[in-house]
Amino acid sequence: MEFDFSPVIDSWRFLLGGLGVTLALSALTMLCSLVLGGAVGLARCYGPAWLRWPLVFYIDSMRAVPVLVVLVWSYFALPIVTGIVLPPFWAALVALSLHIAAYVAEIVRAGVGSVRPGQTRAAFALGMSRAQAIRQVILPQALVRMLPAFGSILSITIKDTAIAAVIAVPEYMKQSQTLAGESFRPIEVFLVAMAVYFIILFPVTRAVDMVYVRLAHLGRS
Amino acid sequence: MNLDWSVVWHNAGALAEGTELTVALAVLTMAIAVPGGIVLALMRLSGSRLLSGASASFVELFRNLPLILVIYTAYYVMPISLGLTFSPFTTGLVALALNVSAYNGETFRAGIGSIRKGQSEAAFALGMSRWQAMREVVLPQAARRVLPVLASTWVSLFKDTSLVSVIAVGELAYTAMRIRSQTFRVLEMLTAMAAIYWALGYPQAKLVDWLHRRLGVSE
Repeated sequence: MEFDFSPVIDSWRFLLGGLGVTLALSALTMLCSLVLGGAVGLARCYGPAWLRWPLVFYIDSMRAVPVLVVLVWSYFALPIVTGIVLPPFWAALVALSLHIAAYVAEIVRAGVGSVRPGQTRAAFALGMSRAQAIRQVILPQALVRMLPAFGSILSITIKDTAIAAVIAVPEYMKQSQTLAGESFRPIEVFLVAMAVYFIILFPVTRAVDMVYVRLAHLGRS
Repeated sequence: MNLDWSVVWHNAGALAEGTELTVALAVLTMAIAVPGGIVLALMRLSGSRLLSGASASFVELFRNLPLILVIYTAYYVMPISLGLTFSPFTTGLVALALNVSAYNGETFRAGIGSIRKGQSEAAFALGMSRWQAMREVVLPQAARRVLPVLASTWVSLFKDTSLVSVIAVGELAYTAMRIRSQTFRVLEMLTAMAAIYWALGYPQAKLVDWLHRRLGVSE
């Protein structure tokens, strides 16, 4: 078997464009999931009681359904319900953010829950209000503990953007598929794709492991 | 918007078959990936540089690749490079097993590593061999810590089986999307697909939460 990487080299601009879309989609998804998931997680912990069960239902439902299903549903079925047709990139952003925000919300809940109740009581004893106790005592400790988990979420997000190829978002996976089909060189194209994803993801997971070792002791109380 | 939900009932048989295949795929993958993970963990913890390096490379490679890419690569590379033609089902199974084995390998390694050294030292002091200490002292304690993590991996795996639909394995996602394109009842079929995954996945997610609460270690 001989390899011929020339189709990959000839189409480097095409692939680089895909890589740009992958990175943009990952960054935007991460941002939206952190905002949405943070809000949902905090509302679940501190919000009014009536809000709690719909939020738990949302979180557990997203954890129960494959991301592929959320993607396909947002792209094909959502326009029928709402009448709004989103281009693939934005449909993918909505679907991935909705899915990953549920995991972020779980991390926030676990982080907040891991701060011992004595900390809150001590804050109250110092005359702090509830909001002050949450902002100045609980969240700073909880955030440190959440950081490694957010790092894992980043690596999951980058991997999940590859699934957006199913709804034809022109990201790296989709571009590779197109190139593989056009050039009849699927092995070379997919081997390069493996290398590209590995080069992006390996430093992320390594950094997460390092952050975990460096920060683990800071979260103790 | 006119909806016709009867399409779901007309195709209930096909959806049930797809669901069976989804469950079968998840069960078979786990059946391969648990022994696979144990082998990877033991290789990693063995004294041999070669074995532990090989295991670490395998784990890092598959932890850092999108599963959908592994599935596509397996689909195109295995027949050409190995000269073997597998059915899409087997190809999907291989890709899933590679991915989940890597995660299980890390799970078992962390589980064994979390048992304090004093435990195996005490076992040696009682005159146990390395293998006896592993089997009778370390592994029973590690199993309890590994179980909730394995359960989480199972839930992820169950959802990830939907990705093999891209290489035309006739599991639930593929079946639902095939019926969608034949009948043009897009909203009905996709909602039915989501509902079936939800009905199967929701109790599993709850069970995993319970296992974590029940067996979770807090120090």
